[in-house]
Amino acid sequence: MVLVAFASMLTVGLLNRGVSNSIDSAIAKGQRAPAPDFRLPVLTSVPGLPPAGHQLTLSSLRGRPIILNIWASWCGPCTSEAPILQSVWDHYRSKGVLVLGVDVKDLTGDALAFHNNYGLTFPSVRDGEGNIEGPYGTTGVPESFVIDRQGRVAAALRGPLSDAGSQANLPGFLAVVDEVRAEGAPST
Amino acid sequence: MMRRWLTGVVALIIMCLAVAPACASVDLLYLEQQLKCPTCDTPLNVSSAPSALRIKAFIEEKAAQGWSTSQIEQSLVTQFGRDILATPPKSGFDLLVWLVPAAFVVAGLGALPFVARSWSSRRRTVAAVVAGVTPEEQQRLNEELRRRDL
Repeated sequence: MVLVAFASMLTVGLLNRGVSNSIDSAIAKGQRAPAPDFRLPVLTSVPGLPPAGHQLTLSSLRGRPIILNIWASWCGPCTSEAPILQSVWDHYRSKGVLVLGVDVKDLTGDALAFHNNYGLTFPSVRDGEGNIEGPYGTTGVPESFVIDRQGRVAAALRGPLSDAGSQANLPGFLAVVDEVRAEGAPST
Repeated sequence: MMRRWLTGVVALIIMCLAVAPACASVDLLYLEQQLKCPTCDTPLNVSSAPSALRIKAFIEEKAAQGWSTSQIEQSLVTQFGRDILATPPKSGFDLLVWLVPAAFVVAGLGALPFVARSWSSRRRTVAAVVAGVTPEEQQRLNEELRRRDL
């Protein structure tokens, strides 16, 4: 009895720590995996979203293309990525695309200071425990995803967005955003 | 000169009294041992990961503001979840983590007399088998030994 309980706890623990590769596998096959849903407290908000401190569910945003960016204030590459992400938000905001940050494993005060210091105006939610990392197959920060209107992941970028030099990945990433945006709203 | 020196000493004592209670009430090393770095899963006191350094700075800042050890710990648990605790709390479901190994030890100690008795009786059986040589076996043995004498 005790052994079974111990084995069960061990199994649950190991499964909970698993990192999924379903998003990348689907993209490699030219498919789109459903974006794992989450419900997290809002860190910084914009009109049309729940105010700071309230819960936001990803699935409630269905019908709108989303650029999901996983970041943390202690992450070096996130600092170089922040202005790029803000420019993307400035450009796509009026076109119906939502840039949504997910701040992981971070102090709330540091995360808010990061938003203020870099003049970030896109909304972010807080995931202090980093629960989003496993389902999204995240192995570090920053990472970005394009989610289509049906709530499926169309692109996954494992690393910072970059718009300069040979490592520039922004044009390819934005091409997917444009593709998803052009697909139109789902029929209900 | 003497008066200035005394004023300085008094000012120093007042400053120490003002600062000491806030700092002394928090055991920084204890907290850093009890809490984990959220990105590397090692205790804060042995981690130099950027996230761990920020949390250590947070602890020092709150300690200087007069927060108690439990207030700081609770604030970090609220922000990072219970996974930030290096050792699980001794309450609720987490209590099982403490009880299960203890149950194994108790069960092992309880089984010890039975295991010892079982080993002892097995040895006795082996001894009995060795002692109980049949006349045929004894005869074969004697013949074998006699042949070796030749």
